[in-house]
Amino acid sequence: MEIKLSIKNLDAYYGKNQVLKNISLDIPKNKVVAIIGPSGCGKSTFLRSLNRMHEVVGGTIKGEILLDGEDLTKTDPVLLRKRVGMVFQKPNPFPSMSIFNNVAAGLKLNGVRNKKQITPIVEKCLRQAALWEEVKNNLNDSGANISGGQQQRLCIARTLAVNPEVILMDEPASALDPISTTKIEDLIFELKKDYTIVIVTHNMQQAARVSDYTAFFYMGELIEFSDTKKMFTSPDKQQTEDYIRGRFG
Amino acid sequence: MNSRFFHYRKKITSMIMMSLTFAATLAAIVPLIFIFYYTISKGITYLNLDFFIAMPKPVGETGGGMANAIVGTLMLIGIGGAIGVPVGIMTGTYLSEFGNNKFGFMVRFLTDVLSGVPSIVVGVVAYTMVVLPMKHFSAIAGGIALGILMIPTITRTTEEMIKLVPHSLREAGLALGIPKWKTTLAIVIRSAWKGIATGVLLGLSRAAGETAPLLFTALGNRFWSTSIGQPIASLTVYIYDYAKSPFEDWNQQAWTAALVLILLISILSLVFRIITRSKYKTN
Amino acid sequence: MKEHFQGEIEELKSNLIRMASVVDDQVDKVITALETGNIDLCKGVKSRDMEVDAYDNLIQTQCENIIALFQPVATDLRLVMSAIMINNNIERCGDIAVNISQRVKKTGNERALIVESQIIDMARTSQTMLKNAIDSFIRNDTELASQVIANDETVDKMNKQIFSFLVAKMQSNPELIEACTHLVVMTRHLERMADHATNIAENLVFYVEAKIIAHRKKTERYVDSQEEKDKID
Repeated sequence: MEIKLSIKNLDAYYGKNQVLKNISLDIPKNKVVAIIGPSGCGKSTFLRSLNRMHEVVGGTIKGEILLDGEDLTKTDPVLLRKRVGMVFQKPNPFPSMSIFNNVAAGLKLNGVRNKKQITPIVEKCLRQAALWEEVKNNLNDSGANISGGQQQRLCIARTLAVNPEVILMDEPASALDPISTTKIEDLIFELKKDYTIVIVTHNMQQAARVSDYTAFFYMGELIEFSDTKKMFTSPDKQQTEDYIRGRFG
Repeated sequence: MNSRFFHYRKKITSMIMMSLTFAATLAAIVPLIFIFYYTISKGITYLNLDFFIAMPKPVGETGGGMANAIVGTLMLIGIGGAIGVPVGIMTGTYLSEFGNNKFGFMVRFLTDVLSGVPSIVVGVVAYTMVVLPMKHFSAIAGGIALGILMIPTITRTTEEMIKLVPHSLREAGLALGIPKWKTTLAIVIRSAWKGIATGVLLGLSRAAGETAPLLFTALGNRFWSTSIGQPIASLTVYIYDYAKSPFEDWNQQAWTAALVLILLISILSLVFRIITRSKYKTN
Repeated sequence: MKEHFQGEIEELKSNLIRMASVVDDQVDKVITALETGNIDLCKGVKSRDMEVDAYDNLIQTQCENIIALFQPVATDLRLVMSAIMINNNIERCGDIAVNISQRVKKTGNERALIVESQIIDMARTSQTMLKNAIDSFIRNDTELASQVIANDETVDKMNKQIFSFLVAKMQSNPELIEACTHLVVMTRHLERMADHATNIAENLVFYVEAKIIAHRKKTERYVDSQEEKDKID
């Protein structure tokens, strides 16, 4: 199995407050890895450190994160984020842009000007995000005028447009209704054919449904990382078992 | 019994508060209506085509217009805007995006002080800095004075409007591998554009209504001039001069000039509304 | 997640069907051997039961995973629940086939006794019940399932007849005691197989119609007797 991201002895801090303690973990290519754990366990910080978005909120990290063997803590964050995209908890389409331009934003603002080049990419990404059929007749409407679930799929399409290798998702369905959640989950399952996906979720059932591997974080430490089926039927650690059974404070 | 009492008390409190807010609104709106009423009723007499295209007549002759003053006011706002708008927007952007430090704090403080400085003081500053070295009054000196006056309004509105843009949009831009400066420019400022335009409009309108700083800088001119190096006429200075003159005819023309100024600002505001109108229907 | 989940459910179903067809084949072999006396047919039945056992474990794990990962509800939940039960019943039928094959080998020389005892009829009836139960599961056919359930009584009657016959035989011909004992145990197993087939059919009805029909007669009788009691009191 090919390893896409290899995290070695990762520590993370906000100021002097250490939020991740010595995390080591390999993320295989074209798989879905779910990160679960109670609030404040460091799972979002972990996710953000994978494309250095932690810097935007003032975090610092120590340790190595290898993307295809290259230490990403030493590369240019702007270039890195084109390879490792991110989808956020709350859908955040650009309200001043049309649906089309939302998807095209990453291309246009990175210097692709040729409309002939952009149009097919926009269509492809909207199709990949299972949104094309719903918006193809109003691509010029505002990206903020569609439903929450559609907005989130628009954000996924926007992320796909810059052609990343890894997609990070920070609770992508927590603000959505059950039907939209199902759509996003189906989408994740489809996308892993082409991308490596890391998803943070509060919803254990969601982790169980969508992921191939699951990591359980607690108090900044990685307690257990294993095959999702194993994790939800016979976890190795008592803490994991207590958490997935909901017997946790 | 008790709950019923509270129910009535709540209802009565609510009614009192509603009446108070309504009264406050009325207090704000009534003077405004009076101002409009007086300006329009007094100014309408001289409002004709001549007023816009003719030059002022010498003392004693009736009629004539203020073509030079209208053009002058527009030029002064133009010059002031060319200075104040970019500086204001850029300062505001800096303050909201990068100004979370001592320097930013200082700039913010100074901007607030500047907005409290009487406009006549700004006029004196422009006089010392521009008029004295040039040795004569000029449109450019007036423009600079107005530009300085606009800066605090535009800066603070820009800052506030940009701060209103949700952090999540910045993150979305950055996560797409867009550099920070481009994210700020193409996503953040663009999302706040409507609010910033309102700030610019406020700044421009305020400058258009200024008289005091122009007295030492642009001075005024009874003749046609569009040279930025020469003194230039403006509606406000004309209003000031004509209103305090002993001639009934000039007093009337001052009212008309005031009406034209209001019209000018209304048109400006309308144009801004049209330009910044959202492309999309909002739900 | 619909498609992914549906995929898992389909896989579970097809594994069950594969397992059922192996068991069906095993049962057919041993009963044909019983009928024809060709005990060569029983060769390999025991070792092939390992395949059935492997399916048993696989399906158990699959059901566990589906419940743990997808929390199925309504129809999906009933399918998984009945899959667990049906899996168990089919596996038992596999074991029965092995047991019968041993006894067929040991009674190979008693053709006359076998034919006279009418055990072949009973075996074929039980086999048909199992086959129909499996078919009803494959096709979600509740009518076929009710037929299976109705047949159970026929097999019970046959069981009693054959049992009395064999007991009488043992009393009159003590040299046949060993063979007869084998046949007694065999009838007992065949009767069990019919019970398993009935269980499978009942679970199918549970899955499709969300009705629990197992033990219905008995429970009805119990309720009636309770009411009688109440009246007397």
